[in-house]
Amino acid sequence: MKGILSTSLNKVVPPVALLVVLIAIWQIATVVGEIPAFLLPSPFAIVDELVQFFPAISSATRVTGTNALIGLVAGAILGILVALVANFVRLVDSLLAPLVAAIAVVPIVALAPILYSMFGANSELSRQIIAGIAVFVPVFANTLRGLGQVLPVQRDLMRAYAASPLQVARTVTIPAALPFVFTGLRIASSLAVISALIAEYFGGPRTGIGSFITTAASGSNYSRAWAYVLGAILLGLIFYGVTLAAETFASRHRRR
Amino acid sequence: MKHSKRVSLGLGAIAATSALLLAGCSSDAGRDQASGSGDDLTPVKLQLQWTTQAQFAGYYAALDQGYFEDEGLDVEVITSGGDIVPQDALAAGDVDYAIAWVTKVLGSIENGANITNVAQIFERSATLQVAFADSGIETVDDLAGKTIGSWGFGNEWELYAGLNKAGITDDVSVVTQAFDMTALLSGDIDAAQAMTYNEYAQLLEAVNPDTGELYTPEDFTDIDWNEVGTAMLQDAIWADAERLDSDEDYAETTVKFLKAVVQGWVYAKENPEEAATIVTEAGSTLGESHQLWMTNEVNKLIWPSGSKIGMIDTAAWDSTVEMALATSNETGATIITEEPPATAYSNEYIEQALTELEADGVDVTGTDFTPIEVTLNEGGN
Repeated sequence: MKGILSTSLNKVVPPVALLVVLIAIWQIATVVGEIPAFLLPSPFAIVDELVQFFPAISSATRVTGTNALIGLVAGAILGILVALVANFVRLVDSLLAPLVAAIAVVPIVALAPILYSMFGANSELSRQIIAGIAVFVPVFANTLRGLGQVLPVQRDLMRAYAASPLQVARTVTIPAALPFVFTGLRIASSLAVISALIAEYFGGPRTGIGSFITTAASGSNYSRAWAYVLGAILLGLIFYGVTLAAETFASRHRRR
Repeated sequence: MKHSKRVSLGLGAIAATSALLLAGCSSDAGRDQASGSGDDLTPVKLQLQWTTQAQFAGYYAALDQGYFEDEGLDVEVITSGGDIVPQDALAAGDVDYAIAWVTKVLGSIENGANITNVAQIFERSATLQVAFADSGIETVDDLAGKTIGSWGFGNEWELYAGLNKAGITDDVSVVTQAFDMTALLSGDIDAAQAMTYNEYAQLLEAVNPDTGELYTPEDFTDIDWNEVGTAMLQDAIWADAERLDSDEDYAETTVKFLKAVVQGWVYAKENPEEAATIVTEAGSTLGESHQLWMTNEVNKLIWPSGSKIGMIDTAAWDSTVEMALATSNETGATIITEEPPATAYSNEYIEQALTELEADGVDVTGTDFTPIEVTLNEGGN
């Protein structure tokens, strides 16, 4: 018991200490260097704005978070399904590879206005789609790689056992693919938040974090803008933490 | 043997490259100093608030007609696509003068940007909230319960001031509008934000699917913030307050700069077609008829002047500041929380410039200005 407590403290304390030191240096620099707020806001000013606008920031975070979550779930499901199809039908794989590579590089700047025109400027759907697209690519790529992790010797063994395709999938393919799927989900979780946020710059209802960052930044009120960014950072951390926890839970039997 | 030879070759290559790079750096600095003392013209950088368009016709006309050169200035006009915040570039010392809306700069000044309004070029606000004529939206009160568009980025404050005044700030659903009118035309929003000189023309350049002809002004209603009483000051010329105070050359340059700019705007008033052409040739992507419309509408914001072009009217300034302190958006944020410092605006330089220009017989009041008729073509061409 004591061993577990001390090891988790050892893992948590150093990064937290580093964070505190960095913030202290930042605060001292802005005070001593007399750096104006429009160039670099001080951490105290940011926290001040965070406290003052807490209701607005939390509701904006909730909106962006909901969009990111819907995008994450939809994109992940689609990514896994398409990867499964691509794995079992070689033709689909070769057809999809360049298409997915192309989708991966389409910038949100270009995609967002088109989606807003298609699905309406007053619906959150376009942002969810953008988050979904951003999630689809890494989940698809990683799942496909994971599905291909079955070793020939394992496949031969299953053949020797006369295992049905479902048994093969359950015992060999999926366990081999699972770590890769979770890696893809972990990468995708932060991407979902970022993409949902950036999509808010280009239109849609004035509800998410992105809308208010631009309003604050246009008046050079970077302390307020960063207060909203803190909400986004927290959101990203929550998403990452949840996917990490899911991964740890799913692979708990594999830890030897 | 081989390994140490490769290492020393590598080190030698790095040393040679560094020597070349450093030599390049120092010779650049030397060249700059030499050109500074050798040239007669003072280099000046002007940061615009947006891309090349007739909203800035006066500056491009001054450049094209040589007014800057006559005053001994070599002006470089820098555009922004929304990526550069002009007042930040000015406050950081990247440029010498910037064009920006007063409301946006008031916020920057409160955050430490020490800059001064040296000329209020646009005396009237050009912001409209446009709706289809059959939408039933005639006044601000009709906006309650509707979906309205605004670009955000600090352009939304006149709208919120109007909503605050009508008491319906929480009764509307605001959508971030793209910098075009497709959301209104496709029916996604009930009322859209438009500038008289730009987006409003985009409506009139679009084809009405019901008639097959271009839309006419009768197809739309608009809420003009000047009439509602919540209009705020827009395009102004800003200069670095500290430099104005400490650097005499900069103060003199400011007067010369303003003289040339005023002459540029007078040129645009008297020769709108030529001014529109100058802007198009300077690299605008907008069509000719659209550019002419913009020049004409912008002229209406300047002429006839309340007193003289560029003079900062105390009543208008105070009204804008008052609204900046009081107007809150949906999160409860206001533009500023305390009164701006006295250095926020100064009529000293524009007064001097105007006195010298009037002595030369330049018409700086434009009392006889009449706008022209502009026919828009589809797509603004």
